[in-house]
Amino acid sequence: MTISEPVQAALTSEADRWIVVGSSTNPDPGLAVREALAPISERANPRLTIIFCSPAYNLAEVSRLVQASVGSGEVIGCSTAGELLRDHPMTGGLLIWALGGEGFAVTTGVGLGDPTTGLRDAAQSAAQCLRRLERKEHTILFLLADGLCGDQMEVVRGAYDVTGAGVPLVGGCAGDDMALQATQQIHSGEILTHAVVAAAITSNAPMAVGIAHGWEPLSEAMLVTGSRGTTLATLDDRPALDVYLDTYGAPAEVRNDPAAFFDFAHTRPIGIARRNRTEIRYVYGADYEKRTLTIFAEVPQGAMAYLMHGNSDSVLHATAEVCALAEQALGGQPARGFMLLECVARKSLLSNAGLLDESLKLPTVAPETTVGGFYTYGEIARTEGSGGLHNQTVVALALA
Amino acid sequence: MSAAPWSLHVLSEVLAAFTVGSPTALRDVVSRVAEAVDAEITAIVRQGGFALCVGLEDRDKPALAAAVAERLPLLNLGGAPLHLYWAPLDGGDWMVVGRFREDYTLEERALLRAMGRSIQLSTQVLAALEAEQEALRAEQKAKELAIREATIDSLTGLPNRRFLLTHLAEGLARCGGRGEPLGLLFIDLDRFKHINDVYGHSTGDAYLQAVGEAINDFRDHDIFVGRLAGDEFIVIVAAASLEILKHLAENILKCLDRPWTIGGRVLQYSASIGLALAEPGDSPQDLLDRADLAMYSIKQKTPGGYAFFEPYMLDQARRKADLETEIRRALRGDELISFFQPIISAAHGGVVGFEGLARWLHPGRGLLAPEDFIEVAEEAGLLRDLDARILRDACFSLSGWRCVQEGFCPRLSINISAASLQDASLIERVTDTLAASGFQAENLLLEVTETSLVKDVERARHNIVNLKRMGVRLAVDDFGTGYSSLRYLRQFPVGMLKIDRSFVSGLGENHDDDIIIETIIRMAGSLGIQVVAEGVETSSQRSILSGLGCDFFQGYLLGRPLDGPMSELLFARSERRLLQLGPEAF
Repeated sequence: MTISEPVQAALTSEADRWIVVGSSTNPDPGLAVREALAPISERANPRLTIIFCSPAYNLAEVSRLVQASVGSGEVIGCSTAGELLRDHPMTGGLLIWALGGEGFAVTTGVGLGDPTTGLRDAAQSAAQCLRRLERKEHTILFLLADGLCGDQMEVVRGAYDVTGAGVPLVGGCAGDDMALQATQQIHSGEILTHAVVAAAITSNAPMAVGIAHGWEPLSEAMLVTGSRGTTLATLDDRPALDVYLDTYGAPAEVRNDPAAFFDFAHTRPIGIARRNRTEIRYVYGADYEKRTLTIFAEVPQGAMAYLMHGNSDSVLHATAEVCALAEQALGGQPARGFMLLECVARKSLLSNAGLLDESLKLPTVAPETTVGGFYTYGEIARTEGSGGLHNQTVVALALA
Repeated sequence: MSAAPWSLHVLSEVLAAFTVGSPTALRDVVSRVAEAVDAEITAIVRQGGFALCVGLEDRDKPALAAAVAERLPLLNLGGAPLHLYWAPLDGGDWMVVGRFREDYTLEERALLRAMGRSIQLSTQVLAALEAEQEALRAEQKAKELAIREATIDSLTGLPNRRFLLTHLAEGLARCGGRGEPLGLLFIDLDRFKHINDVYGHSTGDAYLQAVGEAINDFRDHDIFVGRLAGDEFIVIVAAASLEILKHLAENILKCLDRPWTIGGRVLQYSASIGLALAEPGDSPQDLLDRADLAMYSIKQKTPGGYAFFEPYMLDQARRKADLETEIRRALRGDELISFFQPIISAAHGGVVGFEGLARWLHPGRGLLAPEDFIEVAEEAGLLRDLDARILRDACFSLSGWRCVQEGFCPRLSINISAASLQDASLIERVTDTLAASGFQAENLLLEVTETSLVKDVERARHNIVNLKRMGVRLAVDDFGTGYSSLRYLRQFPVGMLKIDRSFVSGLGENHDDDIIIETIIRMAGSLGIQVVAEGVETSSQRSILSGLGCDFFQGYLLGRPLDGPMSELLFARSERRLLQLGPEAF
């Protein structure tokens, strides 16, 4: 039997790179950290440890315990709106995703923003860690940002200012178990809000990003005629809220009850037409007086937009699809691990349909491959163009 | 439903969103331009250079800059086609928008052109941008300098220890992954300290620079050179084999072991090289350690050569490390004691003194002689402590003898190392020991070798002069095997010469030895210096030495080293016999 070159490369680098995930739902932070770190503590030389943690935990305590356990390795993380393992979504849990070995090198950075000025400068500061990285053949920038601090697109813009087109961006926006009050970011033992943390990861093997959402346009294309930041004012010169409610045929309670609107909009996003794809924007509020919509990230004025719809079937297979897409882009090498960044709105949709577990079945992913991630308030994936902020989407980072 | 095409009717909406009142706003506009057509790169080109550029790393900017003059529509960047659209701005400036792989449609071109026309670059914005760029450049320059300082050895300009270790780690990962072995040469210059000591540190530094340059000439695609520390250089060889390493080591040794003219002086010093090949799972330090052990091994045996690492070297090193730990423990406890070998008068055959000798009462190995541990003690820098310990133990031991308390004290000779002779605290140590033990300074002789005397003449002179003032005499040990310089005998207050046993063993059998000993005795006599013959083991040797006028004998014929109580008995018996001879016997 002859072994193909990519497989040979994967075998010889077995000890060179590793990716491990551990998790726990134990309410005691000390025991949770111990359980989640158990599979990682068997490995030597962790380069990067990422904490995905429900805000139900004391993140400072969790962060301190993890940092003390992993020694000199870099530690970042954030609060979530749920964590996900293979076949196994979690709520209120702790997931620790780590990579290590001589084949990886990592630097991390952090930047602080605020809700009035946004996160562009913060993302720029965090991304500076890329400049300290001694790069190997393949490099990406992984970002975790406050999901409730201004226009999330600013995170992509700020990071892109530093990385340029040569380094893919991937990451997610921190959540708070859908309380929509405040999210937390972790960097080197510090707990922050309104922050962006970044890890520049370089590897001697390929890393690839896959993006899928499963949403389809419901409306005709409309021109975004009034939009600034996270406020979408008009579509085709009509009040955006009215276009939205009428197109979807919203019931009466949605037309005057913010809570009902929130639940309704959860599964009805807006799509922005890009060169060869549609980027999804999550609608999470309405101003009944000004007749505007509140969006998680900017819908650019002048863009073509659609009102999107999806059913559980159309979004069900997105997670499996995105893993297959990402692994295909690894140049024939098998994935050693996946990081999944999945929108919390997808979780709601699938959960309501009783399909959440089903959505995490990944038929193309080998059983021994590590899979872990979290439910986000926004997904970051830029591999072409200069945009790359998504909502109600699932993004997979595959690492060979 | 198919995606709607871009259309000119979006123009007015897009332009309404554009304001460029500040660099931040301009950056926002530039980002939105790129996002509007899903492009990767946008730059404002002013007077042939970039006032602002988003989407390109610094290393790729020159490629785009080269396209400015002719406003090329297509560029190959990193192996991918980059389509460029040049939109004119007011005032003769340009905005260039680059998109990988897919050219722009007519509508997109019209959109970009209109966007360009809408961007008003005010003088203030441009000045602020320039200031930002300048600050960024200064920061970058400072970072590069800091990185250079952190990774480059300032003396030789070669990669420093940190850089070497990083490169080594990467090399191990890379070569390990491909199954290609990585090799390492650990080069250590022989007797480099001598250059610093004799010619000064500036000459030493210049020599290191020249040597570093010479080794760096071997650098190529597979060979990486750096300075680890001091006089240690490292050569990392990718895709190495034993044969490649051997060949490289031979060539480097040949290159280094030749006359070098440094600051008007001609220096010729060799180097020793340790070689090692990486093994699976090696860390950088593992590989360095093995090459270092191989270097150390060859330097001990035959400096100027090279050796491959062998597993026994590691065992040897571990044994040495264990022994060093044990010596330190012995120095803290009471395992190190003095034995005494008698020195006999040639005139009357009585014991006139003793040489105090170190013995180690090892808990597991029994009584050990100095040759079992002195080398390791010297390497560990413990000789001064050892010397001080034996001096103190011997002085206290003799002071306790009954005959000494009654006023009959033998001379006590104690060996001190070069390290002790040059030690600034020697006088204080000797003074304290004599005061505490009550041993008389005039009965103490400190034995030094000729080599110790000349090693650092000025530092030794200070101690010797002060010892003389205290009444302590100096004996030159192993005389005849070193410099044998009359100048030093005249220069220093030497009270006694000890003829090395290698000459004594040849007496009566080797005519040259007879002549050498006769010459030494005559010379010493003319300078008023007494002579002790060491290693006297036969009656014939004793008889010849007596005939040549030697003053004292020491050797197994006359008495082996004994512990304190036995030595006291020996001296008491001799003392009783001497008392019968009269006071002149002392």
